[in-house]
Amino acid sequence: MNQRIYHIILPLITGALFLAAWHIAVKCSGSDIFPTPLEVLRGLGELARQGLLLKYIVASLFRVSWGFGLAVLIGVPLGLVLGWFRPAFAALNPFIQILRPISPIAWIPVAILWFGVKDTAPVFLIFLASVFPITVSAMAAVQNMQQVYLRAAQNFGLSGFPLFRRVIFPAALPQVITGIRIALGVAWLVVVAAEMIAVNSGLGYLIIDARNAGKRYDLVVAGMVMIGLIGLILDWLVRSLEKFDEVRWGYGQR
Amino acid sequence: MKLIRTLVTVLTVWLLAITLLHGGLNLRWFDRAAAGVGQGKTFGVGFLPVTCHLTCPVTHYINQNMEKTDLFQPMRFSAFPELKEMFLGRPTEMPATFILAPMAIALREQGVKIKIVHLGHRDGSAVVVHKDSGIFQTQDLRGKTVAIPGRYANQRLILFRELKKVGMTFDDIKVVEMPPPDMPAALQSRSVDAITSGEPFMGQTELDGYGRVLWQVKDVWPGFISCVLAVQEDAIRDHRDEIQRLVNGIAASGKWIDQSMTHRMDAAQFVAKNYYNQNPRLLEFVLSKPPDRVTYSRLAPMRADFEEIERLGKEAGVLKGTAHYEDYVDESFAPDPATVQPPVFEVKK
Amino acid sequence: METIITVRDCWMSFGSTHVLERVNLDVAQGEFVCVVGPSGCGKSTLLNIVGGFLRETKGTVAVEGAPVTGPDPGRIFVFQENGVFPWLTVEQNIGFGLLSRPAAERDERVKHYTAMVGLTGFERSYPRELSGGMRQRVEIARALAADARVLYMDEPFGALDFLTRLKMRADLIRIWQAEKKTIVFVTHDIEEAVQLADRVLVMTKRPATIAEEVRVDLPRPRDLDSPGYLAARDRIFSIMGMDAHGGGAV
Repeated sequence: MNQRIYHIILPLITGALFLAAWHIAVKCSGSDIFPTPLEVLRGLGELARQGLLLKYIVASLFRVSWGFGLAVLIGVPLGLVLGWFRPAFAALNPFIQILRPISPIAWIPVAILWFGVKDTAPVFLIFLASVFPITVSAMAAVQNMQQVYLRAAQNFGLSGFPLFRRVIFPAALPQVITGIRIALGVAWLVVVAAEMIAVNSGLGYLIIDARNAGKRYDLVVAGMVMIGLIGLILDWLVRSLEKFDEVRWGYGQR
Repeated sequence: MKLIRTLVTVLTVWLLAITLLHGGLNLRWFDRAAAGVGQGKTFGVGFLPVTCHLTCPVTHYINQNMEKTDLFQPMRFSAFPELKEMFLGRPTEMPATFILAPMAIALREQGVKIKIVHLGHRDGSAVVVHKDSGIFQTQDLRGKTVAIPGRYANQRLILFRELKKVGMTFDDIKVVEMPPPDMPAALQSRSVDAITSGEPFMGQTELDGYGRVLWQVKDVWPGFISCVLAVQEDAIRDHRDEIQRLVNGIAASGKWIDQSMTHRMDAAQFVAKNYYNQNPRLLEFVLSKPPDRVTYSRLAPMRADFEEIERLGKEAGVLKGTAHYEDYVDESFAPDPATVQPPVFEVKK
Repeated sequence: METIITVRDCWMSFGSTHVLERVNLDVAQGEFVCVVGPSGCGKSTLLNIVGGFLRETKGTVAVEGAPVTGPDPGRIFVFQENGVFPWLTVEQNIGFGLLSRPAAERDERVKHYTAMVGLTGFERSYPRELSGGMRQRVEIARALAADARVLYMDEPFGALDFLTRLKMRADLIRIWQAEKKTIVFVTHDIEEAVQLADRVLVMTKRPATIAEEVRVDLPRPRDLDSPGYLAARDRIFSIMGMDAHGGGAV
């Protein structure tokens, strides 16, 4: 019962207080441009009726899924290799550290020049945003691995790929998954920036399009709300990975 | 490992599902009617949801309804930087675009092989201030913040010219660059004192009741050109016929828009709904109040207009003055405005 | 009995820190040898050299007739900080060294050694669900299942509570007697050494060498109050320069 109070009722109370404060703030300021929560809800309803809400959610999830999926596919092996082979680390780490702090927004012109305005450009931007956190966390996971596991494995005569597959990878996995979780947050975060490119669907596009549409800030906020809610679900999904027996040991007591 | 197996399975199924959903809902993969239209053959023409680019969607719409095919693919952008990057970076996908006239000239100065082949509109810009502000004439702008669409916007040049008339320069005001869609909110919150860009964003402030027109460009610079149709030289060489059809279409649909108020209101409806995704009331307002707020009839490029832009651009420090009319304009496509006939087309109600 | 571990004139330094000096050591086949010494004296370093995880600076180290060049699956190290893989179940851990063997034999051996260390019923448990003592049993079983001829144990019971430690010692002796393995066991606990070993090697402070060896010829299980036990214990205390009754921290 206590658990339920903490994890369901308390956030609901905070949410309700926030919505009330938002409503009152808009009313008091007398702004007729910034929408109240109710107007945002109506905006969402309008989008849902037009079938646009589903279309846009699907479009954004499509781009994030591919950009992020490719980032995992490339970032995890790359990070593990960099963490393990010192020459690879020495050769590539400075390069990665230089690319890492560049905001995906700065890549927008490059993305358009290379990929045009089809889905590939936002996928590329989301890939860029998420591949570095994934690589770096996988790299650190191998480097910070407990030496005792490595020694025990070597003692049993493991080396090369079997050592990698049976010990280094599973030992690094909990931290890799934490990195993936952070990166998914980042990937979803940049969906708005990625869809600033002239694609014609998606939640980020919804926000930018609503700015073109004159006084439709209810739709801007509706896009923000949807991005937030889906982000919550995505985080919850990745978090559930941490409950698997193979990695649960890596997260201490919860 | 169970975790990895689960993850790979779930991710594969998810990627497949979301791709099919996206393909079905947004890319119309499974829509047989859409399969024939807009696939492969046609080229893209860039535009922004502003009245300066109105002939782009109108030409597309009329052509689609009369010929049942796509002459070209209109590609909508939200701001000029992205539009310009697409135009420069992917010239085969988007060989033509509506673009700010001084920007096209500046690109030519920088060695980009493009030509202006036609205009898209005349007039249709204004300087708007907050209705409660004390700005009633150009002199009152002294010390105020004015938002312009970009360095290479012609609105910047006309502002420069008008300031000069009253003995002021850009040093006497504060200029900020801002995407036109953000301008109304900026004015309403009074984070800027005046805004200037193409319609309908100026009209929007009037319609919503907080903007007041300081001056319409048509009153201070009749026949003002904000945007032009620019084409890659490669496309001019290799696809002359398509470009000619595009120019003819734009010239004709410009005439069509100006033919009657009914046409203007019809255009406002179908463009707002199908292309701009704006409230139709907004386009109706700027296309009718007053009716000559923006015009679409005399769209053949004329030397005098561009030489004025060149002169002002150079004086304002925006252009270097190294490219001239014959470098950046190709007059050979533009039909004589006097002979252009509007298409016989009425929107079915 | 045949000597299987030979260390001759072994020196070890890390940079300018000299850890081992002139260490000589012989261990016979099937012998249980304990190495004791003050904390940080270098007894773990010595074990790591013999185990192949560190390279001596000078001297010769040979095991089973060949110089040591690295760790060997026939000689398994049991770590103080517990080297059980937390991502594998108890039975997967115990079977870790057996993957090249036929499945039937593997299952057979895993079952046998799980029972020997008293973990039957916990085969599907993960290490995080076990107590510290049980985890050490898993590690010992893993080494035995892999058919290691020599066990190197580096303070394996150091992190356990007193009663568990006593129980683990008794179990280790039982397993050693059943399996006839050679065991080199490093500890700082003199009582533990006397309870377990055939022979106790006492090391000096750093730079360490072997000060003396004490043979413990007492029958097992050992009576902790017998005169022989107490004599051996007090002998080691005095070698280490401490009074047996006021000893305090070692």
